[in-house]
Amino acid sequence: MSYRRYELLKDIAPIMVGNALIIANIGFPSQELYNIQDSPQNFYMLGSMGLSSSIGLGLAQSLASKNDPQTVIAIDGDGSVLMNLGTLATIGNYGPSNFILLLVDNGAYGSTGDQPTHTAGKTDLAGMARAAGIESVHVTQDDEAKIALEQCMKTLGPHVIVAKVAPGSPQLKPIPMDPGYIRDRFRQVVSG
Amino acid sequence: MTTVSQELLEELKRNGADYFASVPCKLLGELIDLLDQDQTIAYTPVAKEEEGLGVCAGAYLGGKTPVMVMQNTGLGTIVTSLFSLGLFYNLPITMIISHRGTPGEKIGTQVPMSNATKPILDVLGIPYFAFSNPADVQKVGRLVSHAQVAQKPVAALLDFDFWGKGGINNQ
Repeated sequence: MSYRRYELLKDIAPIMVGNALIIANIGFPSQELYNIQDSPQNFYMLGSMGLSSSIGLGLAQSLASKNDPQTVIAIDGDGSVLMNLGTLATIGNYGPSNFILLLVDNGAYGSTGDQPTHTAGKTDLAGMARAAGIESVHVTQDDEAKIALEQCMKTLGPHVIVAKVAPGSPQLKPIPMDPGYIRDRFRQVVSG
Repeated sequence: MTTVSQELLEELKRNGADYFASVPCKLLGELIDLLDQDQTIAYTPVAKEEEGLGVCAGAYLGGKTPVMVMQNTGLGTIVTSLFSLGLFYNLPITMIISHRGTPGEKIGTQVPMSNATKPILDVLGIPYFAFSNPADVQKVGRLVSHAQVAQKPVAALLDFDFWGKGGINNQ
């Protein structure tokens, strides 16, 4: 069986969920993470495609400005980050050390039927992240992402992991949570 | 003697604002310089307004009181995210918007979006308040508190006269 984002999230959930604040991208990524391991420390995006990296950046900056040691992991995708490439430049210049951007690159717009993205063609997200000014950029294939994430969680960032996996997703149901509930339980756990 | 930009920043901070994101506008130039120099706040110049909405949302999740500083032309690029992030999650984000295309404008292409700005905010259902007098700077600052009460994004539309630039050549 191919190694997809779902398999990746299952592999990294034990080191990530509960140990970091997670911004989960709209659509299947949020549904998959919710299905694998829900936590108040998971923020599920129900809309605003493209903004996972930016929401994670703003959260990480806020914590850094208060000397809060919590790590922020934004789970974004190739299709969605291509909608908001400017944020890589902002992260390159303003990204704090507690921020990890996990770009799950499956070369497809998964939630809309696996239409190919440009990363399935010539486009190199890791090269774009480096050129945007981000120094710690790691490219992984399949389960290599787990080791990279563990290392990034132990060292000062900002880090970008471009985790290459196969396209495709299991059939899951939408997250049965009100957006206000997602917001409030996340904010409560952030502030302790 | 203080400037309207200095007074505005002080009033925004007095009402609790402690995280700012910005996309430039000539009317916002001095305010953006002040944000960049202010060590008492967190500040991020962003590449696009929608990104700014994202970092402000993240800042709110992190316990900050965010302000998005932008030009009204950027409103057209963030409508979807205002609906599906700012309004859907009821995020109190104060939008300080320079209103280009109002009297004092020298660039004709700014006028169509100027006319559409209030109707777009009406469609969004975002409370907005327009100011033309620099003496109203305290009222603008209070919108930070109002966003917390309203529990949604709120907007200030600040035209050329507010910035004291109704009569000089600007771009």
